[in-house]
Amino acid sequence: MEGFLQALAAGLLIGAVYGLMCVGLGLIFGVMRVINFAHGDFMMLGMYVAFYLFTAVGIQALFGNTVGPFVAILLAGPALAVFGYFVHLALISHVSGTRTASLEGEGHYAQLILTLGIALILQNGGLIIFGSVLASIRTPLSSSAWELGPFFDMSIFLNKARSIDAIVSLAIMTLLSLLITRTRIGKSLRAAADNPTAATYMGIDVDRAHRTAFALGCGITAVAGGLLATNYPFHPFVGLEYVIVMYAGVVLGGMGSIIGAFWGGMTIGLVQQMSTLILPTQLQNAAIFAVFLLIIFFRPQGFFGRMVERT
Amino acid sequence: MLRIEGLSAGYSAKPVLNGVSINVEAGEFVAIVGPNGAGKTTLFKTISGIVKPSGGGISFDGVDLLAVPPPQRAHLGIAHVPEGRQVFPSLTVMENLEMGAMTESGRRDWQANIERIFEWLPVLKERRNQFAGTMSGGQQQMLAIGRGLASSPKLLMLDEPSMGLAPSTADFIFERLIEIRRQSGLTMLLVEQRVAEALESADHGYVLEAGHVVLEGNNDTLRADDRVRKAYLGM
Ligand SMILES: Nc1ncnc2c1ncn2[C@@H]1O[C@H](COP(=O)(O)OP(=O)(O)OP(=O)(O)O)[C@@H](O)[C@H]1O
Ligand SMILES: [Mg+2]
Repeated sequence: MEGFLQALAAGLLIGAVYGLMCVGLGLIFGVMRVINFAHGDFMMLGMYVAFYLFTAVGIQALFGNTVGPFVAILLAGPALAVFGYFVHLALISHVSGTRTASLEGEGHYAQLILTLGIALILQNGGLIIFGSVLASIRTPLSSSAWELGPFFDMSIFLNKARSIDAIVSLAIMTLLSLLITRTRIGKSLRAAADNPTAATYMGIDVDRAHRTAFALGCGITAVAGGLLATNYPFHPFVGLEYVIVMYAGVVLGGMGSIIGAFWGGMTIGLVQQMSTLILPTQLQNAAIFAVFLLIIFFRPQGFFGRMVERT
Repeated sequence: MLRIEGLSAGYSAKPVLNGVSINVEAGEFVAIVGPNGAGKTTLFKTISGIVKPSGGGISFDGVDLLAVPPPQRAHLGIAHVPEGRQVFPSLTVMENLEMGAMTESGRRDWQANIERIFEWLPVLKERRNQFAGTMSGGQQQMLAIGRGLASSPKLLMLDEPSMGLAPSTADFIFERLIEIRRQSGLTMLLVEQRVAEALESADHGYVLEAGHVVLEGNNDTLRADDRVRKAYLGM
């Protein structure tokens, strides 16, 4: 029982961060319908930006070892958003949005090649610039825990860094859903996703809406990456490890559902941690995909997906 | 207000419009009729910038429309109520109307507009929190019209608002349009298959066939024309 509650708690904490990570990708897919294979590598870049902001730019000196990493991680968000903005402007916009009408397969082939190419450049560029040594953004909180309880002489231990990671994730998630559901910008992003042509008739610049979604998606996933890096070391190819989880989360949540992607990521975090109760650690990823297939078997449209085609 | 001169347009090497000239004066109600595939929707898409013309010109309020990027055209005061409604299915009725009001004038007049729209199309008020995708075809058509009106347009372009609707629903929508026009004096450009109704209420009409304007005139001229009587009015 104690082990179960402990795994549940760990699953919820990591699930919140996975959820945030998936939402970044889900936002891009939901609004643009572009499959971004480079998204894991944008996250890797976010991890390194947070790392260097913390160690090399003086944030460590300014904010100390406990708060500093989180300041750096939060700043990596806007940094990657700006980067994503320009990647979209210079590259992605040529094969997506209003340009797709004139492209083979609505631009999907070109998008595939382009985002794979960006992924390769980021991975190998990362290797040249950052080297292959494992990096991490450790804080003193990473190795200490809060004790919850005891309830009925059982205690649950919550890793402090992971707890703060989860709280930060939930806070950003809350802000994002307010942005998407309540603001003019958020509504116009959803309108552009629903029907780009009609959105143009409304005076919405669809390419600009896509650029906004892409930048936001990159920034959000970068923050999630930074948060993960407080507990997991990373390297220039770390994106490959996470991009599968991201896609599984987006599909589970329902392709096109932005908030759904969060619950997809949460599910994966829970399954990953709970599986350790009955399976050896090496089988964690197998467990994730067994549950993934099971859910998709019974609910092919994902948690929040609609079966109907969009009009 | 809207001047289309010698407009030619089509889809990758397939010409659809061939030297089309159409004129809409401020305050006028102009109808365009013609058989399936004549190019009526293509004409509207060219005005909105979704289709690029290969020749000719369009000016709106003295502005060269072809030099204006497509998403900016709504901001000049052109509202396009597209064929097949094309509401935003995952947005609520209210959010759809807000999207109509993305233009500066739409934002400025939002309160007054929404009251008038709800008065003209009460079903939108009743269902304002329903997702547009779950509404019936007639309701979606009314939403598409309301969404167009929410931008405070100078010109309202309607592409077959009766398409795919039961005759009684189509009649109702038509009657609403006439009422909206009577109360607001809005300039309207209507594409319609229901030729008799369209010509009856319009000030001026054009017959478009295979990408050419084959006939134009005020409603009496058109309704008196033999070809129109035979081909469209079944007389
Ligand atoms: N996206 C497209 N790509 C290629 N051809 C198209 C496209 N849209 C329309 N067409 C063709 O252009 C011609 C004119 O179509 P359009 O939709 O403008 O006709 P319409 O007058 O609106 O007809 P309807 O009354 O049936 O709505 C048709 O032959 C049609 O097949
Ligand atoms: Mg048509």
